[in-house]
Amino acid sequence: MSEYGQGAPAGPREGIGYFARFGVTERMIAETLSAALSRGGDHADVFFQHRVSSDIGVEDGAVNRAYASVELGVGVRVVKGDQTGYGYTEDLSLPALVECARTAAAIADGPSRPGPQRLHVQGGLPDRYPLVRPWSEVRPEEKLPLVAGLNERAFAADPRVKKVNVFLRDEDGAVLLADSSGRVVEDRQPMTLLFLSVLAEEKGRREQSGYNVAGRAGFEFYTPERLDRVVREAIDRTSVLFEAVAAPAGEMPVVLAAGSSGILLHEAIGHGMEADFNRKGVSIYADKIGKPIARPFVNIVDDAANPGARGAINVDDEGNAAGTTHLVENGVLATYLHDSISARHYGVAPTGNGRRESYRYPPLPRMRSTYMLPGPHRTEEIIQSVKKGIYCVNFSNGQVNIGAGDFTFYVKNGWLIEDGKLTRPVKDVNIIGNGPKALEQVDMVSDDLAIDEGGWTCGKDGQSVPVSQGLPTVRVASMTVGGRGS
Amino acid sequence: MKDLLEIARDAAALARQRGADEAAVGAYRARHVEVAWRDGRLEKVSEATTRGLGLDLYVDGRYVSVGTSDLRPEALDRFVSDSVVLARTLAPDPHRRLPDPELYQGQAAVDLELEDPHHGALDAAERRRQAEAIEVAARSVPGAQAILSVSTSVSDSLSESALVHTNGFEGRRRGTDFWIGAEVTVKDPDGRRPEEYASSGARHRADVESPEVIGRRAGERAVGRIGSRKGESAVTALAVDNRASGRLVGALFGPLSASSIQQKRSYLEGKVGAEVGSPLLDVRDEPHVRRGLGSRLYDGEGLAARPFAVFEGGVLRTLYVDTYYGRKLGIPPTTGRSSNLAWKLGERSQAALLADMGEGILVTGFLGGNSNGTTGDFSLGVRGFRVRSGALAEPVGEMNVSGNHLELWKRLVAVGNDPYRYSPMRTPTLVFEGVQLAGT
Repeated sequence: MSEYGQGAPAGPREGIGYFARFGVTERMIAETLSAALSRGGDHADVFFQHRVSSDIGVEDGAVNRAYASVELGVGVRVVKGDQTGYGYTEDLSLPALVECARTAAAIADGPSRPGPQRLHVQGGLPDRYPLVRPWSEVRPEEKLPLVAGLNERAFAADPRVKKVNVFLRDEDGAVLLADSSGRVVEDRQPMTLLFLSVLAEEKGRREQSGYNVAGRAGFEFYTPERLDRVVREAIDRTSVLFEAVAAPAGEMPVVLAAGSSGILLHEAIGHGMEADFNRKGVSIYADKIGKPIARPFVNIVDDAANPGARGAINVDDEGNAAGTTHLVENGVLATYLHDSISARHYGVAPTGNGRRESYRYPPLPRMRSTYMLPGPHRTEEIIQSVKKGIYCVNFSNGQVNIGAGDFTFYVKNGWLIEDGKLTRPVKDVNIIGNGPKALEQVDMVSDDLAIDEGGWTCGKDGQSVPVSQGLPTVRVASMTVGGRGS
Repeated sequence: MKDLLEIARDAAALARQRGADEAAVGAYRARHVEVAWRDGRLEKVSEATTRGLGLDLYVDGRYVSVGTSDLRPEALDRFVSDSVVLARTLAPDPHRRLPDPELYQGQAAVDLELEDPHHGALDAAERRRQAEAIEVAARSVPGAQAILSVSTSVSDSLSESALVHTNGFEGRRRGTDFWIGAEVTVKDPDGRRPEEYASSGARHRADVESPEVIGRRAGERAVGRIGSRKGESAVTALAVDNRASGRLVGALFGPLSASSIQQKRSYLEGKVGAEVGSPLLDVRDEPHVRRGLGSRLYDGEGLAARPFAVFEGGVLRTLYVDTYYGRKLGIPPTTGRSSNLAWKLGERSQAALLADMGEGILVTGFLGGNSNGTTGDFSLGVRGFRVRSGALAEPVGEMNVSGNHLELWKRLVAVGNDPYRYSPMRTPTLVFEGVQLAGT
């Protein structure tokens, strides 16, 4: 533990790695926080971030493009009740920091409050993304054969393949948060994502699909098994489209395959449980805490703690501990997802869901890794139970209207279920439901929970954050399938 | 602070010193201020200046594109040097070169009026007054007792950029924009809390609709959602509101990019000169609209901006071709991205179009869904209103439309006189016949 006192030296402190990375000192931080509280304000924080990201890409058979970006900046937030003042700057000099803090301070209009007398680095964070090969140590020459090899394997896998695109992205990030209580939290935030996309042609018809994997990990993430899976899935998901027929239109039972179908939870309940929408009274779940909303075998969590998951975090972007939040316990709605503003509003402990895209934005209640726990049914039993319906396997996107509760998710690949059997593939169909209604209608849950390994990104208020999702095989008794015919 | 053009020139010179043969450098700076207001109180104020550099580097026939907000001199030098090293590890690409300098020539000599000279006059007190006025107006509409919450926002920004290409292009531009908006949530007797919004924005503050108009519109729209139901599945006539129709148009324009064509991911490949829509599909790209949100004298590659026809009487006339994919395809560049779209408008209002339509659905918003750019298949969630006997009837929601764009645009049977001014797509109300709707 390290502390800040009035007589502390002005240079970067020994032993606190990121102070030097940002070129700031404890004194600068303390002065910034004092300026932030110069008009009252209940709470202030400064969020420094340095993120270096790099992509290399293959198109038309050559590794011939690369993209790199560096983001460096600081955001200053002042909170008064549930009001927020915010400013950010990419100039980390003291005058710029203080000006930014004074801007944020304008949300309050009372007498000045003192800044923290001491800063103390909070230790003891979990390590949910231990790195074997950090990206800062991986040379481009090591990444090139990986993407070039995937390109060759995709072409070799199926003669119908006409175009292949591969992208490998890596990020090496560091954040430092200090707040008006004197707390200092540092974290590194690695991320990687690999994307393989395939265009195939058969008798003049073209189909396109792909597969992607993502995680908070270093170069070691790309094991031979994972790379094999990327090629196989990208090819399989594309070639099945040639057999696909249009999905039917109208209400019918929908069976969701284990894994990325967790998008149902993300849209049908996750967003509606973000506490800012509830404290404002604009969520369809605003008056449902403690009430049954699903069958007793339905349990849903939002989890920061899956090691290496894209949605894993060691600590949230307000410096609060982040663990496993039980949204639905035995069918009963248990708690919202809180940031510190909503936690104070409701008089509860923060749940570690205060997240932000970058220093350019204030934190908001956001999901991390959202999934349903295993249930009592068997996968075959679920499929056999459906006379006519849809089995959904892969998804590209989803959306929700928070207050009306209507949500959608888009199915890239699925199957018709006829008389308890998967018959023909279907593709490109939007499914639409209403959150509380759909949860009530989850009437079978299998024991085969899988957390998807894809690069899911969640958007809210113009901010994108990485998330994960998962689901066991689940049956929803009825949703509207946006296909054609009947 | 140093002039942006100098910053860009210096960075281009640095890139050359560190080993790049050619470079395109963009420098930008933007100041954005926003006030959010909710239920009688200030919710959020934010104020920020952002700045940065983007560099396209061409090194020994190889290419990287990089960007940074870390402009500390040593950090920038290291970043550029590392980027050159990164480029050298890649495969050469003969199509990656700066644009032909001839294409920089011929910029229109017009004043686009993208900057409001009175921008600085807007202060914190005025923003706050507007934000509050929007809420008051929203709460004054008939049925306002159902309103649960009103969130409003007022924002403005000043953006500046400079672009320098080492083969002779230099450009700079400044622009302002002003936006106001409101989101209103109402309580539906069945327990749902439907929301609706309204917003308005322009380059000049005088062109933004008043807070009273926006507040009222948001309030009326939200109250209008009360009691929405899912209707039955049917093949029906579909009108799409001017604010919503940009979603359909976007799926028509994305596949027109040369990259989609060259990568075989476009259902519009090989369609230049062919009829892809009804004669009513008639759209031009107009970069020189005075005060337009998409207006420009040069595009992101420095190419002089020129108006051109995209669709004429349903016939596809041209693609959006940037330098790189133009070279790969062996066709001359136009521009890689659309500016403002100018529709050949109809003569009738939305109300008149609905009267003519008789029975069907008016879509006022899309929810999720997607369009497959390779095949043209789409499936989109919708909400809106039933149209009965030519007039708006009950609200509908939790429904879906689906089809294929190559069929959809041939079924375009009417175009409104009401371009949506708050998007560079400027879409009017569009009416289609025979569209698949999914519900109960």
